[in-house]
Amino acid sequence: MNPLIFTTILMTVLLGTMIVMMSSHWLMIWIGFEMNLLAIIPILMKKYNPRTMEASTKYFLTQATASMLLMMAIIINLMHSGQWTITKVFNPTASIIMTSALAMKLGLTPFHFWVPEVTQGISLTSGLILLTWQKLAPMSILYQISPSINLNILLTMAVLSILVGGWGGLNQTQLRKIMAYSSIAHMGWMTAVLVYNPTLTMLNMLIYIMMTLTMFMLFIHSSSTTTLSLSHTWNKTPLITTLILITLLSMGGLPPLSGFMPKWMIIQELTKNSSIILPTLMAIMALLNLYFYMRLTYSTSLTMFPSTNNMKMKWQFETKRITLLPPLIVMSSLLLPLTPMLSILD
Amino acid sequence: MLKIIIPTIMLMPLTWLSKKNMIWINTTTYSLLISLISLSLLNQPSNNSLNFSLMFFSDPLSAPLLVLTTWLLPLMLMASQHHLSKEPLIRKKLYITMLTMLQTLLIMTFTATELISFYILFEATLVPTLIIITRWGNQTERLNAGLYFLFYTLMGSLPLLVALISIQNLTGSLNFLLIQYWNQALPDSWSNIFLWLACMMAFMVKMPLYGLHLWLPKAHVEAPIAGSMVLAAILLKLGGYGMLRITTMLNPQTSFMAYPFLMLSLWGMIMTSSICLRQTDLKSLIAYSSVSHMALVIVAVLIQTPWSYMGATALMIAHGLTSSMLFCLANSNYERTHSRTMILARGLQTLLPLMAAWWLLASLTNLALPPSINLIGELFVVMSSFSWSNITIILMGTNITITALYSLYMLITTQRGKYTHHINSIKPSFTRENALMALHMTPLLLLSLNPKIILGFTY
Repeated sequence: MNPLIFTTILMTVLLGTMIVMMSSHWLMIWIGFEMNLLAIIPILMKKYNPRTMEASTKYFLTQATASMLLMMAIIINLMHSGQWTITKVFNPTASIIMTSALAMKLGLTPFHFWVPEVTQGISLTSGLILLTWQKLAPMSILYQISPSINLNILLTMAVLSILVGGWGGLNQTQLRKIMAYSSIAHMGWMTAVLVYNPTLTMLNMLIYIMMTLTMFMLFIHSSSTTTLSLSHTWNKTPLITTLILITLLSMGGLPPLSGFMPKWMIIQELTKNSSIILPTLMAIMALLNLYFYMRLTYSTSLTMFPSTNNMKMKWQFETKRITLLPPLIVMSSLLLPLTPMLSILD
Repeated sequence: MLKIIIPTIMLMPLTWLSKKNMIWINTTTYSLLISLISLSLLNQPSNNSLNFSLMFFSDPLSAPLLVLTTWLLPLMLMASQHHLSKEPLIRKKLYITMLTMLQTLLIMTFTATELISFYILFEATLVPTLIIITRWGNQTERLNAGLYFLFYTLMGSLPLLVALISIQNLTGSLNFLLIQYWNQALPDSWSNIFLWLACMMAFMVKMPLYGLHLWLPKAHVEAPIAGSMVLAAILLKLGGYGMLRITTMLNPQTSFMAYPFLMLSLWGMIMTSSICLRQTDLKSLIAYSSVSHMALVIVAVLIQTPWSYMGATALMIAHGLTSSMLFCLANSNYERTHSRTMILARGLQTLLPLMAAWWLLASLTNLALPPSINLIGELFVVMSSFSWSNITIILMGTNITITALYSLYMLITTQRGKYTHHINSIKPSFTRENALMALHMTPLLLLSLNPKIILGFTY
């Protein structure tokens, strides 16, 4: 793509999300979402083939539906409250519709079906933008309306997301689908604590974005989109296998890595609010996620994957330079001792 | 405590910066020095604990376990030298780094004051152990073994996290030093029953309890020698240590909640001992013997009398040393014949007489021969369980008999009789191996002279 045009489109995506995050007028938020959606379609379709077209169409349809639902919720809110400013949504109907719309945008169960298919159809870099940047805008709106969200619906969606994210990823070998299911599960964790302490949602979002960014960059570095091709990295860059191991264990939420911090804080917040069964269930279902991460680490770093001699001599392209990888890896694995610092967030 | 933790952490740069012919020498020597530092912790004031800081403390329960942990690192390094000799240098350094990381986490776990910090470090020990088992084990089954190990332990310990946080909400602090002075009885309710279960299941899986022990034979058999040693000697004791710490907070539910687990342990120790009699795989036999001994520890901890706590602590230390030594002996067989089948290498006494002496001593301590500390531990547990209920003496007596049976079975099968003709060209015992066995046996024998240091905080 022409670099100038690509920059413009990328800036539009950024601008769209910024408008969503910084507006106080509901209409501007809707405009921000639409801008974001329209501008990201060309980015999703960077490679022009039928698979990408299908993925982009699916993404467009779901997100446009969600935007329309959001608009309806905004109008109902206008009708009942008479004003356009962002505050908590007082009318329950509007609140439920808005929650569903934002869940559709995020990819929470039961609106999660588009996430694996869209992520699979697009290139790794576009998938990266889809799974990290696109989550920021809906999450910021959820943060702002969090006092008024119906707790039952949100918790049901969260727990089902964790379940679906764990179970759905079990049968996958394509890395992008694995990352998609992982995203569904993490969104579940984030929304579970939204009503109790939205700051933890933001913390989880931050750490999730760091870990997903790291994972995708490691995949891009070895240009691998399947488990099979990832298992050949030991031959080309053995250090990457160690980094993949550490990042995957961090995503699975194993102490002492930083992926444990959001889970711990969320379990703590939920327990303080006297719900005990819920965090226990959530924690146990996160083990499903850990299972398929472990399977990935087994084939990548902890065993020498059997391969014929021909496969060992892959094309040696010029090594891509991934600028931010070392700091990202450090941050996505070593942040746990900083947990006491979170008290400054109150 | 930093005087032990920081040198252990610094063992990692030592490994990476050593020259090729010095890695084993450097790491073994320095880890041995660190273990000598930890011996000073055994000097405990009689009615209190040594408090080093707000975060670390050591009391008569954790000090012997700490000394055992630090003592074991040089032994693990010595035992691993042979099977890593053919690996590239970086992989050797990675292995030693994993062992050192595990060691640091274990030291911090045993001395943690705050229970959530204990939990995080308890979980954190899983990661290096998993990497050691899966990356450096020898058979394909190690993948399954690693998964079983990881998931059994995590399933048990995630409810523990929730339980610890809810206890913190109730009592305001999880600092162990505070809790032991401020303890109040848990009110009787259904939710407190689940709290009891949540707190104990993590340690039951780790010990392991008889019904949840499936991960142990897999993990022990598939792990490389250092992995087996650390698993048997220390990681199982983490469960016992945790149970001893957390039962102080869980009265009075323990009096009736403990019954199912007591039944399982009492029955399980006989079942696993009996399975040992029919094992063909040497490491598997030692693994099941570990389950059996740990079942005794569970019985002791759940009875909650001063004598049983003494027995539990002594048994943990004794079993740590004995089991680790048995794994080293089994490994010396494995390195020569590359098979774990017991009957494949018989009659070793004719070929390796000094090693046969170590086999004899290890088997004798395994069956709790007087005056070894194994006997002290088992005897205290038997006596206190007899006072808890007279009938248990039958089960305990049966267990002691069967333990003797399989220990002698193992000894006689591998050492006595005519040697098989295909092993007459095995390498003689290395000095390193003899030193390893001596370093295991000497503390065991010397502790029988002064067992008071391992009898724990109820002495």
